[in-house]
Amino acid sequence: MVMTDGYRFDAGFVFSHLGELGNGLLRTLAISAIGMAGALVVGVSLGALCALRVPVVRQLTRAYVEVFRNTPLLVQIFFLYFALPDAGVKLSAFTVGWLSLVLWGGAYNVENFRAGFEAVQPGYVEASRALGFPVLAAFRRVVLPLGWRIALPSVTNTQVSVFKNSSFMIAISYPELTETAINIVSVRFRVFEMFIAIGVVYLALVWLTSMGARSVERRFAIPGGL
Amino acid sequence: MPAWAGPVTRYVAEGLLTTVTLAAVSVVVSVLLGTALGALLTLPSRPVRIVVRAHVEIWRGLPIIVTLFFIFFVLPVIGLGFGTFVAAAIGLCLWGSANVAEIVRGAVQSVPRGQADAAAALGFPWPGRMRHVIFPQAARRVLPPLVGLVVNLVQQTSLAAVIGLLDVLQASQRSIERLTLSSGETHAVPILGSVLAVFFVICLPLTILSRRLERRLH
Repeated sequence: MVMTDGYRFDAGFVFSHLGELGNGLLRTLAISAIGMAGALVVGVSLGALCALRVPVVRQLTRAYVEVFRNTPLLVQIFFLYFALPDAGVKLSAFTVGWLSLVLWGGAYNVENFRAGFEAVQPGYVEASRALGFPVLAAFRRVVLPLGWRIALPSVTNTQVSVFKNSSFMIAISYPELTETAINIVSVRFRVFEMFIAIGVVYLALVWLTSMGARSVERRFAIPGGL
Repeated sequence: MPAWAGPVTRYVAEGLLTTVTLAAVSVVVSVLLGTALGALLTLPSRPVRIVVRAHVEIWRGLPIIVTLFFIFFVLPVIGLGFGTFVAAAIGLCLWGSANVAEIVRGAVQSVPRGQADAAAALGFPWPGRMRHVIFPQAARRVLPPLVGLVVNLVQQTSLAAVIGLLDVLQASQRSIERLTLSSGETHAVPILGSVLAVFFVICLPLTILSRRLERRLH
């Protein structure tokens, strides 16, 4: 395949850099995995505290969610990496990588889970309270099992975004997949092959994640709906 | 205000103007193009749906950074070179319109089937059914997620800094570098803190609006 300026398509180029790209992919998967797991923990716990209307915690969580949802992730990453050292907190690129994803994804998941928990029919909670369940037990045994199922589709969206946004770490030169690809390309100008290759990898992983989530949804669906 | 702040503010404010322009262009084009694509997704024709679906899945699925690099570094290889602003706008519009298309499709399909059936029974042809019965009802459901997407799009404009557009983030980053060279102090906390504050002030009212619209639906 010949393009303008005599550019020749050479798929072998990507394969000759498979080792470096594999390492980049591993780093992408590492910060994404920590980011997704952390965002899930933050989302469920703070979402529960909000839905249970725990005073003070609820207002503080609100503030956290609004700040992180209404500012760009990229600027948050810049702040953590370039501004915090001035305040005496020096974090490595890897730490900023997963931490920024946890904080950002967590803020979205708090909203997702809170909305899910609050969408559980009040009648169920009232019935369990009338049967003598204490508040926490009613939450753990009634609201949680129903609420997470309601929240699942939007939580999946957030988790997929966390994975895709691991590519933002290029801004702090953390050598994940995209940064690795850019570095290779800047030395050996085979941009076409490289970007098609990493594009396919990202798309495949995004589709795999959403398909996995959909099968979880089906597996845990309550017969007859909620 | 300290002496360094004046020139930095002016420089960053110019960057902010670029950011706002980029956001405005991206929002308008994404909404128009996305609505058209979303309407195509509800067509009865299967080949049309498959082509549009593939387009939507690709640009929604790729990280925007990868899309931006693709447009900025790869397209020049086949003779399609763009400046940073146009490249960023194209990337954001591809992502934005794909998401708007999904929102529009979801809203149209959330209108109960009986509505279309009843309109058909009354003798409305397909275009009339869409225009007079389905779209007016779908429009109310489109609004809350659409405003949410606008917030997202405004925030994603900051990615243009990565391909070198002199937007609000790039301007503040260069200011920090310049201050570090000239005075040895970065002043990164107040500068980047202000950038966060600017985005917050723009996005929070829109987020609140989206939530209000959402609540009014129920």
